[in-house]
Amino acid sequence: MTRAAPAWRRAAVAPRVALALAWLAVPLVPLLLWAAADRWPFPAVLPTDWGLTGWRQAAGQGAGGALGRSVLLGLAVAALATPAGAMAGRALALHRVPARRLVEALLLAPVAVPPFAVVMGLTTLTLRAGVPGTVALVLVLSVSALPYTVFVMRSAYAGYDVGFEEEARTLGAGPRAVLLRVHLPLAAPALATAAFLAFLVGWSDYVVTLVVGGGQLVTLPMLVGALSSATGNDAVVAAVSLTAVVPPLLLLAATALLARRGAR
Amino acid sequence: MRTRRPTLSAAVLGTVLAVSACSGAPEPGSEGAAAPSAPDRSWDEVLAEADGQTVDLWMYGGDQQGNTYVDDVLAPAAAELGVTLRRVPVADTADALNRVLSELQAGEDDGSVDLVWVNGENFATGRQADAWLCDWTAQLPAMEFVDPEDPLLTSDFGTPVDGCEAPWHKAQFVLAYDSADVTDPPASMTELFDWIEANPGRFTYPAPPDFTGSAFLRQALYAVAGGPDEVPAEFDQAAFDEVAPQLFERLSGLAPSLWRAGETYPRDLAALEELYAGDQVDMTMTYGPATLAQQVASGALPESTRVLPLDGGTLGNASFLAVPANAGDQAGALVVADLALSPEQQLAKADPAAWGQYPVVDLDRVPADVRSAFEALPSSPAVPPFAELSRDADPELGAGWVAPLEDGWRTDVLGG
Repeated sequence: MTRAAPAWRRAAVAPRVALALAWLAVPLVPLLLWAAADRWPFPAVLPTDWGLTGWRQAAGQGAGGALGRSVLLGLAVAALATPAGAMAGRALALHRVPARRLVEALLLAPVAVPPFAVVMGLTTLTLRAGVPGTVALVLVLSVSALPYTVFVMRSAYAGYDVGFEEEARTLGAGPRAVLLRVHLPLAAPALATAAFLAFLVGWSDYVVTLVVGGGQLVTLPMLVGALSSATGNDAVVAAVSLTAVVPPLLLLAATALLARRGAR
Repeated sequence: MRTRRPTLSAAVLGTVLAVSACSGAPEPGSEGAAAPSAPDRSWDEVLAEADGQTVDLWMYGGDQQGNTYVDDVLAPAAAELGVTLRRVPVADTADALNRVLSELQAGEDDGSVDLVWVNGENFATGRQADAWLCDWTAQLPAMEFVDPEDPLLTSDFGTPVDGCEAPWHKAQFVLAYDSADVTDPPASMTELFDWIEANPGRFTYPAPPDFTGSAFLRQALYAVAGGPDEVPAEFDQAAFDEVAPQLFERLSGLAPSLWRAGETYPRDLAALEELYAGDQVDMTMTYGPATLAQQVASGALPESTRVLPLDGGTLGNASFLAVPANAGDQAGALVVADLALSPEQQLAKADPAAWGQYPVVDLDRVPADVRSAFEALPSSPAVPPFAELSRDADPELGAGWVAPLEDGWRTDVLGG
């Protein structure tokens, strides 16, 4: 009896994993097919001509440069929003914060107020303040990413044992050593998750990049948006979209690995 | 191929206009608050000032050939004049206008948008908000190649151009048929309606608000109303109530004779072209005949495809380059607009292999060698030369007509 339950559960895991994978993979199938199709007329089930036209077109439309700019934007947002989220999360989880409810509401507000609704006002504001477009873009997206990083880090610090830090200090470690050798290693998996989410905010943005950023940074979402607004661009849109899917998948895998190492 | 997306940006735009109207700014379009105009200076001064500037051209980025022409042909030519041309691709031209309006509202005079590919509704909205620089096109040396009386270039979907945008391309709406299947092609829109009823299941059109399907609605409206003179260019509810019901009644009457008895329509032009290529229907249509010539040449569409010549002509329009009132690199923008209008560039982009956009310059005014080069451009058996296509071109309706016609079609023809 005691052994039967886990066996039954193990048997049910396989279909569930398969379902989860299908959930992720099925939307990618038409993209993969289109990215390898030179011609795919309407009623045909599969492309009639295979080839790499979509990829050549993507390169010609500047997908390479856009990929680099998107990576930089994602990294910049992650670099600002992750430490800010960690500090706020730690304060909320481990310390007494005055007007806690209000602070929490403020930190979560950017999720409740989607960027496209306030983008015009933000543009005017940053222009009046004389902030250069690209700087304003990174700042606005970092604020949009903050709720995610705060949420992740706050949960992480809620299960965090400050005892380790106290122990280290009793043994003579300075604040710097405590941060680098105790605090950061313990928080690393959560920090990686938070940074990943912040990266995605910068990675997937369209309207803030265009309107607040003033078109200075032509990113992958801008290319996908422009190309997919016309008919007949399916192959190149598929190629650019796949280019946009790969880096987050790699980061996701890296984050998962890090979390696993941290758990060990 | 230009598509319009009724997006959020339109709503946002409305808000901005409302806000700027409330904030005590001069009432857009009111008397006395004249649109900002370019300083009076010699062209040499403009060229000298432009040297070293970077011009940000915001343009609809869904047309790959257009993007490639700007990057590979226009930008290198601008670089020879000392101007760096940077293309910012947008999904909707209204995005560019949104940025300009935000900057104007913030009082930013070193704007990040220097040049916009625009026509129709976005041009009209920008004019209302005094967002465009005006009275500058007369400064462009290349304007001597343009016919100053050309109605397509003096009025943009019903809005007077007034030197607030420089012409760039012309476009012509055409219907095309398979001459192997249709031996006695109709010669007017009215005859087309009769032909459809005589040949059930062999015709359809893309469902508006598809750009091409919407143009077909306007072409059919002219036919039902008795010609472009019977429909005021500026939208007018009374005129709409008079002519639109006739249009919807005619189209509803035709529906049973359409492909699949009009129960469904192709969702866009690409879908109609697939039906036509697969011989499901005998006719297709486009606002870009150069693309049609290419598709016939490449074998994507039947070799026997021919443009349908229609008595009374077809819809034509032009698109333009506009300079925002606060463009940071204004002189450079003027230099690029002049370059884009030069006979050499108009010729280069008229080549179907490059972009296939029809010229706005008057072939009687360009140098003889350019004129003969235009005449030597690869011709297509499917598509007659532009001079023939654009004979009796019908002016486009004002932008205000588009949405009511599309809404009416949805409720009265599709739902009726």
